[in-house]
Amino acid sequence: MDKRESMWDVYLRKGISRRSFLKGCAALTAMMGLSTDMLSEVVEAAEAKPLPVVIWLHGHECTGCDESFLRSASPLASDVVLNNIDLEYSHVLSAGSGEPFEAHLEETIQKYAGQYILAVEGAVSTKDNGIYCMTGGKPFVQTLQRVAKGAAAVIAYGTCATSGGIQAANPNPTGSSGISHFIGDKPLVNVPGCPPIPEVMTGVIMHVALFGKLPPLDGDGRPKQFYGNRIHDTCYRRPFFDAGLFAESYDDKGSKAGWCLYKLGCRGPETYNSCGNMRWYQGMSYPIQSGAPCIGCSNAHFWDEAPFSKRLPEYGPLGDIDKIGAGLAVATGVGVVAHGALSTIQKKKRQEAEQAEHDEKQVKK
Amino acid sequence: MKEVPRRIYYLFSPFLRIFHWVMVACILTLFVTGLFITKPVGLLATDPTSTMLTMDMIRSIHFLAAFIFCAVFILRIYGFIVNKGDRLFPRVWEGHFYSETIEVALHYMLLKPSHAPFLRNPLARMSYAGLYAMVFVEILTGFAMYFPTNMNSIGGTIFSWVNIALGGEFMTHLVHHYVAWFIIVFVIGHVYMVVRADFMEGEGEASSMISGIKILEHVPKDVNEIESRE
Ligand code: HEM
Ligand code: SF4
Repeated sequence: MDKRESMWDVYLRKGISRRSFLKGCAALTAMMGLSTDMLSEVVEAAEAKPLPVVIWLHGHECTGCDESFLRSASPLASDVVLNNIDLEYSHVLSAGSGEPFEAHLEETIQKYAGQYILAVEGAVSTKDNGIYCMTGGKPFVQTLQRVAKGAAAVIAYGTCATSGGIQAANPNPTGSSGISHFIGDKPLVNVPGCPPIPEVMTGVIMHVALFGKLPPLDGDGRPKQFYGNRIHDTCYRRPFFDAGLFAESYDDKGSKAGWCLYKLGCRGPETYNSCGNMRWYQGMSYPIQSGAPCIGCSNAHFWDEAPFSKRLPEYGPLGDIDKIGAGLAVATGVGVVAHGALSTIQKKKRQEAEQAEHDEKQVKK
Repeated sequence: MKEVPRRIYYLFSPFLRIFHWVMVACILTLFVTGLFITKPVGLLATDPTSTMLTMDMIRSIHFLAAFIFCAVFILRIYGFIVNKGDRLFPRVWEGHFYSETIEVALHYMLLKPSHAPFLRNPLARMSYAGLYAMVFVEILTGFAMYFPTNMNSIGGTIFSWVNIALGGEFMTHLVHHYVAWFIIVFVIGHVYMVVRADFMEGEGEASSMISGIKILEHVPKDVNEIESRE
């Protein structure tokens, strides 16, 4: 494949109609979180831009992100993989395996040096030279560094790739960490989530593919269009929060009535993701809708913030903050009362001493 | 009580005094509403037909108090500029500050019957610096939780780094909550020290935050800060 095909070329080759192509572009525009004004630009890009070469690496992880990706409905994951990108290497989705497969990776790196997009799922294991995560017979960290060198941009899929993931939980025996320190100075998009929402995954890669640049990112390197809102601020249970109506346990009347899950440990108030507005699987549901409090799976270190069923004040490395705080306050109170009592004695002594001095002077006179 | 000659020292500008009492009201309001936000116990609404937005209201009160608190700092700064008596920072760059601190500390540890007279003693000054540091942390973490409702807002852009620096927004809540308690511990100590100073020295410590004056028997060691002669 020397002349690289564009999306439109692929559709032509496969005999798919112009109408389907335009519908596909419209769907892409919506999914990337762009306004419909941008549709013509998307169409232009899809007609002219060669399909982006993608190398998809898997590190220290469970491949749950792939499971999520496969469930993307608009566009269909199969459309993305077969028609919208030129996926050259993926552990999970490729038919090939073994040495020819690894050789193909090498070939791709060389042939498309400086052009391909690197998608990474999974953390980097850094302890003991990274031997706790081996791919293709090499520590994953080496493969990652090698492939990242020639990448045009890097997409970190999932909280493992963005900040270490479950295997980085205390005490982090494999020295797991996010990929950002191992890709040099390549532009990076963080797409956290355990896993990320399917359409968010496809949306990000299509944005990079079609516009050849990263989507607008926030301070944490996350695409603003998908991570710009808190779950709490998009949650359909929010009116119950504002009214002060809370489920207190998983089977009480509040929980049956669909009240807010704040008191069951919901992490929605500090979690940035699109679960509240896009929801999962064609808008079918999301954890809170299913009655389970958000665990904040797109937050760095969420795995160390257990128990998920508790918020402050019970939650906290040192125990219940309000109890600690009240204890400190009472101790201080007792302290000042005791100090006050001793000060009274001190003052009495001082006055006696002053009096004695005064009397002495009087006598001398 | 035997009569002793005393002198009046004008110390605190009205700006500082107004600021002080607004701060007291704000901190108490912030603390109580804050605890309620964390653990909304016994809220009035127990059935969905109630139209009271209890939680929303409590949060709004917290935020209102927070904004008033921040705004009233303008008075503090103005007083600081126009009135020497308002300048309460610990003078750590002056050598005698340390020996004086030790002396005052020894007195508070009940090892010395009295300490040299001050308009504002070095330990008290340090505690105020500590309070302002804590308030600063509260403001920083508070706005870092408040503004990112819209990450693209000016506030969101200015404050969202706090959440990243602390290792996640949940940690910001944790810090905000701990420091709130530390401020209350300060308040207990502070109120006690004021009452105690009045009892021990009778220099008008408590009333000085209303009248602006202190009445001392001896010439205070830090008098040169407010009066250039002598
Ligand atoms: C002396 C000053 C303050 C005190 C004592 C205080 C106290 C508290 C406490 C105890 C909490 C509960 C923490 C938690 O569990 O989440 C809280 C929450 C909060 N405070 Fe403050 N606060 C102060 C200043 C501020 C300021 C200046 C702001 C700025 C707007 C602010 C904004 C917030 C926000 C956004 C929350 C979280 C509310 C929520 O989770 O819905 N606070 N505050
Ligand atoms: S369920 Fe969670 S995210 Fe939804 S309103 Fe309650 S606390 Fe917020």
